[in-house]
Amino acid sequence: MSLIEVENLTKVYGAGETAVTALSEVTLRVEVGEFVAIMGPSGCGKSTLLHLMGGLDRPSSGEVVIDGEKLSRLSDEALTRLRRRKIGFVFQFFNLIPVLTATENAALPVTLDGVKPAQAKAQARVWLEKVGLGKRLDSRPDQLSGGQQQRVAVARALVADPKLILADEPTGNLDTRASEEVVGLLRQAADDWQRAVVMVTHDPRIAAYADRILFLRDGVLVEEMHLDQGQTGSADRVMDTMRQLA
Amino acid sequence: MLGFELTLAARELSKRKLRTFLTTAAITLGTLVIFGMNILLPTMLKAFQANLLMASGQVDLTVTLKTGEAFSRSTLTRVRRVPGVSAVSGILSRTINIPDKFYGKTNVAALTLTGIDPSAAQTLRTYTIVGGRFLRSDDPQAAVITQSLADQLGLQVGDKLKVPTTDGAFSFKVVGLLPARTLPGNEEVLITLTQAQKLLDLPDRINTVEANLDTTDPARRQVILDQVAADLGKDYTLGGMSAGSEIMSSLQTGQIAFNLFGFLSLFMGGFIILNTFRTIVAERRHDIGMLRAIGASRRTILSLILVEGLVQGVIGTAIGIGLGYLLGAGIVYLETGLMAQYIHIQMGQPVVTLELLVVTACLGVGVTVLAGLLPALAATRVTPLEALRPPVADAGQRIGRRSFVVGVVFLVLGIAGFAVGGIKLAALGCLAFLIGLILVAPTLVRPIASVFSVLIGLIFAREGTGTIAQSNLVRQPSRAAITASSTMIGLAIIVGMGGLVFSITGGFLDVLQRSLGSDYLVMPPSVGLWKSNVGARSDLADRLRNVPGVAVVSSLRYASASGNGQDVALLGINPTDYARVASLTFQQGDGPTAYAALSAGRGLIANGIFTAQAALKLGDEVQLSTPTGVKPYTVVGIAGDYLNAKISTAYISQASLQADFRKTEDVFIQLNLAPEADPAQVEPRLKDILADYPQFSLVSGRGYVEQNQKIFDAVFGFLFVLLGVLTMPSLIALLNTLAIGVIERTREIGMLRAIGSTRRQVRRMVIAEALLLAALGTALGLLAGLYLGYVMVLGMSVGGYPIHYVFPFAGLVAATAIGLLFGVLAAIIPARQAAHMDIIRALQYE
Ligand SMILES: Nc1ncnc2c1ncn2[C@@H]1O[C@H](COP(=O)(O)OP(=O)(O)OP(=O)(O)O)[C@@H](O)[C@H]1O
Ligand SMILES: [Mg+2]
Repeated sequence: MSLIEVENLTKVYGAGETAVTALSEVTLRVEVGEFVAIMGPSGCGKSTLLHLMGGLDRPSSGEVVIDGEKLSRLSDEALTRLRRRKIGFVFQFFNLIPVLTATENAALPVTLDGVKPAQAKAQARVWLEKVGLGKRLDSRPDQLSGGQQQRVAVARALVADPKLILADEPTGNLDTRASEEVVGLLRQAADDWQRAVVMVTHDPRIAAYADRILFLRDGVLVEEMHLDQGQTGSADRVMDTMRQLA
Repeated sequence: MLGFELTLAARELSKRKLRTFLTTAAITLGTLVIFGMNILLPTMLKAFQANLLMASGQVDLTVTLKTGEAFSRSTLTRVRRVPGVSAVSGILSRTINIPDKFYGKTNVAALTLTGIDPSAAQTLRTYTIVGGRFLRSDDPQAAVITQSLADQLGLQVGDKLKVPTTDGAFSFKVVGLLPARTLPGNEEVLITLTQAQKLLDLPDRINTVEANLDTTDPARRQVILDQVAADLGKDYTLGGMSAGSEIMSSLQTGQIAFNLFGFLSLFMGGFIILNTFRTIVAERRHDIGMLRAIGASRRTILSLILVEGLVQGVIGTAIGIGLGYLLGAGIVYLETGLMAQYIHIQMGQPVVTLELLVVTACLGVGVTVLAGLLPALAATRVTPLEALRPPVADAGQRIGRRSFVVGVVFLVLGIAGFAVGGIKLAALGCLAFLIGLILVAPTLVRPIASVFSVLIGLIFAREGTGTIAQSNLVRQPSRAAITASSTMIGLAIIVGMGGLVFSITGGFLDVLQRSLGSDYLVMPPSVGLWKSNVGARSDLADRLRNVPGVAVVSSLRYASASGNGQDVALLGINPTDYARVASLTFQQGDGPTAYAALSAGRGLIANGIFTAQAALKLGDEVQLSTPTGVKPYTVVGIAGDYLNAKISTAYISQASLQADFRKTEDVFIQLNLAPEADPAQVEPRLKDILADYPQFSLVSGRGYVEQNQKIFDAVFGFLFVLLGVLTMPSLIALLNTLAIGVIERTREIGMLRAIGSTRRQVRRMVIAEALLLAALGTALGLLAGLYLGYVMVLGMSVGGYPIHYVFPFAGLVAATAIGLLFGVLAAIIPARQAAHMDIIRALQYE
């Protein structure tokens, strides 16, 4: 059994004439230690898919199973707990709490889970070291650059040892170098820390870090592409596929 | 777990210092008012109780023998043993007629020599000493006299005062001075009880027991009085404060009113908190969504917001209680001087009870948490998806039609409530009216804002700032409405109380003047409680009438009866004489017709209370039970006077009273002098006659009215000061909303400045918004205030107070001025902030 199983997932926004089918009968699987990228033109349903996989929203039909748990069967409470323990999120807008320090921000998921503050912070510091922010532990978000803020967000996503990391355009607001640092961390999360990573991106060079790329168009899964991390020129192949699909 | 919430709350609070300060200040003010008022009013109540009637010599309860004789001290013990009696003191007092030329040229007709137990007497009343010191138990030669007597005799502290006694003249040493008396005939010489007993040759005897009761609740007081009467038997007469109880019940009403106002201002505080927390939640939607996304439960979010409210609630309440104490104690301190100077009232130390402390603390913290609850619940409904959407500024808020409809229903209910029902419904009606206005307010924001913005446009020329201000306001109609509502409540209090106070002073004092405006009053120990008074046969009135210079004498006679099943005090008047010295205030019918009808036969004038209790109208027939059987009386007028304003009373002719009730005893006499008469000559002769009737004291009617007027002025003067304090929360509400608006629109303001708005324009934009908000609140406040005042006056007049509604023009003008002034004041800080914003930072602001 795969870590994530998505069966015939459909999401319709609104009703009647104004109804928009954002996602239609999408089926996919993600394994432990796998890094999957999702690509496609704007409005094709990438974010919608990610939100449904993370239990942030409920599908119109279909099912998401994470680590054997059917999300549709879970109460809001249980879903919340699942997000806290099994999923880590990285957002495009870094979404750090402005009044908390880097450590406190990174520690949030464990703090919310009732872990003692001292221990939670210790855990957070470990992860901040791993993402290369060992020197900025006590900085507030407004004292950090965009790339650094996003690295805090990655540490926060990893701190509770979740099995799955979901990232929606994590590099959308970053320059090339910072982008590469962040996606490098996600790659590491899959390889070294055995997390499943699902990332939405527009950038072929960023997508090229993944093991597999899923292409969406108008809510439908239209193409799947496997990459070998040893090879070079992956980015160009991705670009070609995008052009074909457009 | 709560540690995390606390940390976050503390950080957020210290990040937005101004907002935290304003919100906390709102709570502080609410608790301040409640706490301060509840310290102040009981202290005042006690002060009034202890010494208001020192001038007319009354305490809660006086016990004398019906014969006026002295009695043994054991009576004192019997009174003290009655539960509910809090302090007792025995007195031996005797009026001493002073022979002509006794003090040389100065003519003093009589003195009251009063022997007191100095320590016991001071537990009953606070004696104000204006010079020297008070009596001590070991002071057989000492006397304390009134300033006015000292002035007449040219005495000073340390001088000797000669007093005629059974042993011949006795010389006292004047050790202290009491305040001058405004009423004649009361020149008192206080000496020790033992000395009085010796001089009057009445060893171990007293002739009056004075006592105070431990409660102001009328029902409970009656129970205690009944118990005392039962224990002592029928040889004794109980007197007590009743003229004073007018004031006391006014004070009690005042306490209720102020608690209401305190609650209202806490309510305003609640509004402010509600506004703040709505903003907090709106501002942090993104953060909250993110917390939800990474696994914070709804409960965590809820407690996150509530903890922030709790922190502010606790701090605000603590400060409020502290400042409230200072306010209460401060006013007590200030009033001590005023009261002592103008109405000779001594205030005690402010009293704080544990109960008050607990109740205030619960209210303060409770209201905060409650006000935070609504936005906190809204916060729990923020979905995790919120975090993933890029932050977009709110373009505006739609307002529900439903609240408007419900509001209109409340308004209609509010008006119908007092139109249809009695005073009880009117009180509910007031509440409904206020709630209705608050609910309707959001819908009114747009139309009212556009009306006033035309005016503001005239002031701020054509810069577009007025338009931006207007649309900013309209963008958040419910926030504007909540803010305006708190201004509304503040101003409604001023206008409403203004209406009430003007009506009382305008109407009430007028009635007082009419009822007691005669030149002299011959007063029994307790006015109003006629039953307990020993009257005089009609020859007293005749003797007074025969004094040269006396033009008219009119007396009241009393009988108790029941009419249509309701107890009623019957007062017999001589219709022609009564009309010449006093007058009733007619609600239905008119004087000449009614008095003529009384003279003609079994006619009756009912006062407001009796009319209400027995459901009477002009022309009705009332069956009065009399000792000679049930007799039919016709209602020929509905009218009342000051003395009987709170007692179910009917006026009939003395002829009828004699025929049906066999009563001819005068209990109260009023008399007027002829225009050319010299009071200095007439007064001693009146006193001579009254010396045979120790139960009566001679009082100058004008002096009595003036004294009452002073009391009213003092009470209402300080009332208005307090009302000023009560409007402060609305200032804070305005300031808070404007500050929130500026913070929220930081990015927009940055943009305006970037594309070329001057600081001046930005500042004007905020000021224009402030003025619009203030205008909105003022308009609503005037409306609510007029309604409140009208209903309160109506309620009081239905309750039997003879007052009419007086339109409070001055109150309206004051409220409008205050409203607009607040608008400008509130704008100062936020306008500065907006104008001096760093453009680049503002543009990057999240
Ligand atoms: N809350 C919503 N209500 C209605 N329609 C929505 C909602 N959210 C998304 N949609 C619609 O669903 C479709 C898919 O949106 P989604 O945000 O998943 O696209 P996306 O692939 O993430 O696009 P982008 O690359 O621009 O982020 C779009 O047509 C969008 O307009
Ligand atoms: Mg998207």
